Amino acid sequence: MLVLIRIDDRLIHAQVVIGWYEECRPDRIILADDKVGDNEWEKKLYISAVPSDIKVSVLSLKETADRINQGVYNKERVILLVRGPEQAFRLYENGLEFDELNIGGMHYREGREKVIGELYISEDEKSVLRELVKKSVILEARALPGDEKVIMNSRIV
Amino acid sequence: MSDTSGRTAGIIVTHGRLAEELVRTIEGILGKVEDFYSVCSEDYCDSVIVDKIKEIMKKYKKENIVLFVDYSGGSCFMNCARATEGIEGVKVISGVNLPVLLDFVTKKGVLNYKEMTDHLVKRGRDSINGAS
Repeated sequence: MLVLIRIDDRLIHAQVVIGWYEECRPDRIILADDKVGDNEWEKKLYISAVPSDIKVSVLSLKETADRINQGVYNKERVILLVRGPEQAFRLYENGLEFDELNIGGMHYREGREKVIGELYISEDEKSVLRELVKKSVILEARALPGDEKVIMNSRIV
Repeated sequence: MSDTSGRTAGIIVTHGRLAEELVRTIEGILGKVEDFYSVCSEDYCDSVIVDKIKEIMKKYKKENIVLFVDYSGGSCFMNCARATEGIEGVKVISGVNLPVLLDFVTKKGVLNYKEMTDHLVKRGRDSINGAS
């Protein structure tokens, strides 16, 4: 069972494993990314950041969509992380349809502009998010569960 | 740029603006400190933070750099690991606190690298006490 689908360019970090723990009580975190899975060093680094009572899977985007759709994680509470809108869209295109997407961490880098709070989004990323909106996905901006939930669908035009 | 060869640098990497405040606080106690840097994660992407750390590291010999982070396993810790990937011998000390930094600044010219980093880890642990 997916309890959170989140865009966070830091992927696994304290805000996710500690900040969302009480709200989500995850059994597993899935880091869905085509680059991290191919880099053993980076993979180990992310896994090392997760407490031992939470399982971690580092999967490609396609594997993630396939395994979730096959029901592999049906009995677990799962946090699913992707690094950006492109990866979220590709999950959707790979058959993982979802209704709500948490925009939790998009930090400043060249080309991105502040949209709301501490969220920075580039024009290209906005256009990908618009594609998700067309598929009726609710985009909710919230770094932590206690933050105000801001629906972003009309803010990325 | 001044000659930094042979000098020991401390780079504090933390969440929010904590690193900047730690440097400010240390300098409020000891006065201006050379070769002492803050990198604050604030709203920046990991890649930006890693570049900032690498930019500072370039000025020093690798065996003379100590990285301090606030939280072991957090994003700052991971970014220090990324910045030092493939570089042997650079110590990353987590759980940074004022006693550790005060000792770093006042002892870095006296102890060798190994003695100093061992001392700093012990100092950090010893500085945490329960009230009695």
